[in-house]
Amino acid sequence: MLFTSDSKVIVQGIKEPLGSVYAPLMRDYGTQVVAGVSPGYAGESLDGIPVFDMVEQALATVAADVSVIFVPPYEVLDAALEAIAAGIRQLILITEGVPPLDIVHLLRKAEATETLVVGPSCPGVIVPGKILLGTHPAALYQPGTVGVVSRSGSLTYEVAHELTQAGLGQSLVVSIGGDRIPGSSFQQWLQILEEDDGTDVIVLVGEIGGDSEEAAAQYIAEQIDKPVIAYIAGRTTPKGQAIGHAGAIIAARMAGMGAEVGTAESKLAAFKRAKIPVASSPWQIPELVLQVMQAEQAQQA
Amino acid sequence: MDLLEYQAKELFSQIGIPVLPSQRITHPRDLKGLKISYPVVLKSQVRTGGRGKAGGIKFVENTIDAVAAAQAIFHLPIMGCYPEVLLAEAKYNADREFYLAILLDSSTRRPLMLGSRQGGVDVESKLEHMQQVVVDQEFSSFYARRLALKMGLEGELIQSVSSVLEKMYNLFVQQDLDLIEINPLAVSTTGELMALDGRVVADDAALGRRSNIAAFIATIPDTALPNVTGNEKGKLTSDLKRVQLEGNIGVLCNGAGLMMATLDLIHSAKGKTASFVDIGGEYRHNCPPETLQERLQQGLDLILADKTVKAVLVNVLGSVISCRQVAEGMTFYLRNRKNTPPIVVRLVGDRIEQAADLLAKSKIPMTDSLEDAIAKTVILAQV
Repeated sequence: MLFTSDSKVIVQGIKEPLGSVYAPLMRDYGTQVVAGVSPGYAGESLDGIPVFDMVEQALATVAADVSVIFVPPYEVLDAALEAIAAGIRQLILITEGVPPLDIVHLLRKAEATETLVVGPSCPGVIVPGKILLGTHPAALYQPGTVGVVSRSGSLTYEVAHELTQAGLGQSLVVSIGGDRIPGSSFQQWLQILEEDDGTDVIVLVGEIGGDSEEAAAQYIAEQIDKPVIAYIAGRTTPKGQAIGHAGAIIAARMAGMGAEVGTAESKLAAFKRAKIPVASSPWQIPELVLQVMQAEQAQQA
Repeated sequence: MDLLEYQAKELFSQIGIPVLPSQRITHPRDLKGLKISYPVVLKSQVRTGGRGKAGGIKFVENTIDAVAAAQAIFHLPIMGCYPEVLLAEAKYNADREFYLAILLDSSTRRPLMLGSRQGGVDVESKLEHMQQVVVDQEFSSFYARRLALKMGLEGELIQSVSSVLEKMYNLFVQQDLDLIEINPLAVSTTGELMALDGRVVADDAALGRRSNIAAFIATIPDTALPNVTGNEKGKLTSDLKRVQLEGNIGVLCNGAGLMMATLDLIHSAKGKTASFVDIGGEYRHNCPPETLQERLQQGLDLILADKTVKAVLVNVLGSVISCRQVAEGMTFYLRNRKNTPPIVVRLVGDRIEQAADLLAKSKIPMTDSLEDAIAKTVILAQV
């Protein structure tokens, strides 16, 4: 597993409003938060976590594998590039409102350095019982074998809550964020969960808008052997007045997706084609997970 | 956020993409002082597409016809929008019409360049001619040449069209655009290029660092600037919005995905949502979790102002602040208010029993089950 209780974590933006709240919470959960970075605050500490001006300055004193970034949106790209330059290869971007072209720029650098980027605009990753990298409300989670990958924030908490209530703990829960250009895709995380020995079943939580779910459904049909349960939010959301962009329609059609791509119907159809069961409510997810678990056990017997 | 055509063309002009001399018309009488020679095209400046088919683009030969056409266009709503400005340009004799666009592609997570030698009004029906190039690494001119060649261009057109593409790309990056489109890029018999129509979509998140674009948007009628969190450090974002539907249930949730799911579930339970307010915003760098009580109160203000609401559902999950604090915020808010519709609260987490006790004193039912909270709200709304 990528993230373990041995992972060493720095928090960039530790003196920012979000960073100062969540860094101690992460540390209290058991995450090894070894340092924080906020320019101008070197020498201070936040709740016992030493603060540095720069990532490379922190890494002269402590070793770290992961950075969780809470800096303001227009500073996220720079903070991420700074972390990569200092040798960090796993970045969790929490902040909302990062311009997509900044993520494009970051991804070119990240892919060249094999750096994993999660987010932006997301609660990050939690491996229940081991490590919290972000803002997931840890009390709602418990260790287990269900992997959850989501585009949503608090809806992810809801799904985890339902699973925990049903006694179905989670191996890893990641929200990739709802931005058009996410740092990592559904496909990347499906692959990670497929290869993770601690994960038996995968739950995919999607929303209307964009084509991530359609692409994920295809990927699951072709590449994923573990059972997947899906849930989509937004089935009844009224369709906004569409200002038709020929460019976007053209790009969608050329990618082999109908002009309806992005709608709930399109996503449900994609899951149906890929034979992925779709829950009708968050509380139905544990039922479906149990069904596929029992079916797997019966098969193996 | 879409810009108007004349604004897109102003950006084109600044970066060197060829556009025709034009004049903005804010009233039909402006045409008496028109500095462009006839025949002239008059175009409605609204953000929507399909202006031509809707009658918002007219060719005129003389002043009298121009004034009449302008009158007609000013009074023509296109997808509900009336123009405040028309754009007048000389009619251009195009030998051919190309299509060029650059947009963000979410599957490759890169900018995507599109081009076709068969541009113009029905480009969507001729997709077999559409070519695409992904700008995988840092942009260099050769990406543009690659697209030009795929489009089947030859000779001087390779360089001239590439040059336009390169300028489009520079504008795309410099102004944080989601989309830039030229359709048609007219080609004259001598190979001169002219962007006859331009479309630019600016990225909402970036508006805080693109004041010129924000200034353009501020002049477009019926357009509110989207909530931008990137600009003012330390400023709490307090602009919650109520979205109006038709029904009798008001909903508050912390988070867009959770909201959509809650609305789906209300619908499944045969309820009808009247309006909703997302009181989330938890990944905004300047919106720390402690502000939830404040957002909750602002959200309640907005929902209770909607007189069609007969019952309210508050669904708050996973906040750093305890359930008891949420309950305190609610009871304090409701203390001196009379005749509020029944409110059902759904909370999960820390200090939940204390929350339940507090809310019970104000006769507000609380549950940690979303299913039960929804069922109860639907029933209360029907009473």
